[in-house]
Amino acid sequence: MNNDVLVIGGGIAGIQAALDLAEMGVQVHMVEKLPSIGGKMAQLDKTFPTNDCAI
Amino acid sequence: MLDVGRHPRINLLAYSEVENVSGDAGNFRVKVRKKARFVNEDLCTGCGTCAEKCPTMTVDVFNAELGSRKAIYKYFPQGIPSIYTIDKDACRQLGQGKKCGICAKVCQAKAVDFEQNDGEIQLHVGAIVVATGYDVFDPSVIPEHGYGRIANVVTALEFERLLSASGPTAGHLDRPSDMALEKEIDDLEKEHKKLSRQLKQLEEKHGKSSAQVMDLVKSGAAAADKDLHNWAASAERFGELEARLEPMRQKIGAAQPAKKLAFIQCVGSRDFRFNKFCSSYCCMHSVKEAMIANEHDNEVSSSIFCMDLRAVGRGFEEYKLRGGKQANIKYVRGRVAEITEDDALNPVVWFESTTSRQVLHETFDMVVLATACVPTAGTPKLAELLGIELDSNGFFKTDPLAPLNATRDGIFVCGCAQGPMDIPESVAQASSAAARAAEVVAPARQVAAAGSQ
Ligand SMILES: Cc1cc2nc3c(=O)[nH]c(=O)nc-3n(C[C@H](O)[C@H](O)[C@H](O)COP(=O)(O)OP(=O)(O)OC[C@H]3O[C@@H](n4cnc5c(N)ncnc54)[C@H](O)[C@@H]3O)c2cc1C
Repeated sequence: MNNDVLVIGGGIAGIQAALDLAEMGVQVHMVEKLPSIGGKMAQLDKTFPTNDCAI
Repeated sequence: MLDVGRHPRINLLAYSEVENVSGDAGNFRVKVRKKARFVNEDLCTGCGTCAEKCPTMTVDVFNAELGSRKAIYKYFPQGIPSIYTIDKDACRQLGQGKKCGICAKVCQAKAVDFEQNDGEIQLHVGAIVVATGYDVFDPSVIPEHGYGRIANVVTALEFERLLSASGPTAGHLDRPSDMALEKEIDDLEKEHKKLSRQLKQLEEKHGKSSAQVMDLVKSGAAAADKDLHNWAASAERFGELEARLEPMRQKIGAAQPAKKLAFIQCVGSRDFRFNKFCSSYCCMHSVKEAMIANEHDNEVSSSIFCMDLRAVGRGFEEYKLRGGKQANIKYVRGRVAEITEDDALNPVVWFESTTSRQVLHETFDMVVLATACVPTAGTPKLAELLGIELDSNGFFKTDPLAPLNATRDGIFVCGCAQGPMDIPESVAQASSAAARAAEVVAPARQVAAAGSQ
């Protein structure tokens, strides 16, 4: 039995899952295929429905 | 994003891929391949001197290939981890076997390592969260929309980059046809400048004008003198460039940013030839993009062509109405049949208006395609590695009554890896998936805690 969690993908979903787990005290390993995390959201200018900046 | 890079309990393995998975819930063994960046992660400070001095340009994938970047690069300026990577194929030294090594010379931290190899990491985990997201549908497979053939037809993701202050146009709605023209002028001007220098040197050295040499060659008096023939050929090319550049300069001088926009919905979605499903977020991102374009320049007007505009989230209907009232957006109910191009490189949209029951056409400065949300190219392979199933649309399958559970214990799926959804829903799912994964590993943590007492 092991108590670490693997998150595959570092877009907004993976980032949120990893942070929640880490805050619960779980050791997380995040594997992202690109050189940086952020996913598609990092490419967006602003986001609906609030038109806040994406990054 | 920054928090992930800094969190003491998150081991971030970027530029890496899962290669093998064995074991079961509570006890998975995972082999991860860490791809060589040719930059030592522990030494790189992210200062960027290497990219500043790198002589090689290549297409910038982050900017949806609308701009260019250096062969040693950061995926985007705020990217985490804040480390540079060498694009092996583009690099002179690694990809083309030429002598270069400038990045290594200028790096004060001595982080560049041309000999670096891929690394292998073994992980032992109790649960797995799959959050691999989606790919953007490639609209070039719909020839009637002209994507790839008509320069001023772009995808919504490309349009996001054009709107962005940190994008290739610094947030100005320059038309791709004008961007291409500008690049062509730049290239021709470089050649023009080089030839001008060469001709001047020849003229000074030999005390003859290029016009005289051209006459000599034409009259046959230069006979087999190769140097004179080359000189005349250069002078001819120089004249050609002058004649070509002048009208191009005039054209670019008169170029205007795009003011009249068309957004085409359901490109590759709700289309039985491609994907039957609705991609859900595109109605709202088209409204958003039209609103932001109008915020940049209040002369911008937009027509959104749709079968129906699906504004089902909280506050979405109000957002849509606000766009219509304040941002010059017209909603046109009708499916677009074809996009053509006029002589001024303006896209012309042919459509059936179901409100007026007429087949109409209208000319725009730019057309934005709301392309479908499709499974990532790596989805089938990852499903096989993890031993989980896909649904009929090709996304990871989940159970309607346990909507985060993949088809195998201990594996959870959230965000667009499950299918199209917007950011708020992806985030809500991610928190749920985290809670489910924590349930799997919690007993192990209790045992571990008891053991350490
Ligand atoms: C043009 C456009 C505009 C949009 N605007 C908005 C908006 O304004 N508001 C809104 O709410 N939503 C918007 N969306 C939707 C939004 O992009 C998604 O909801 C969101 O990005 C989904 O996040 P995700 O983490 O699930 O996927 P992604 O952002 O796709 O992230 C997935 C991550 O996983 C990585 N990955 C993929 N495969 C692997 C693998 N095999 N191994 C390791 N890593 C992998 C990827 O590199 C990526 O970093 C827009 C979408 C588009 C196309």
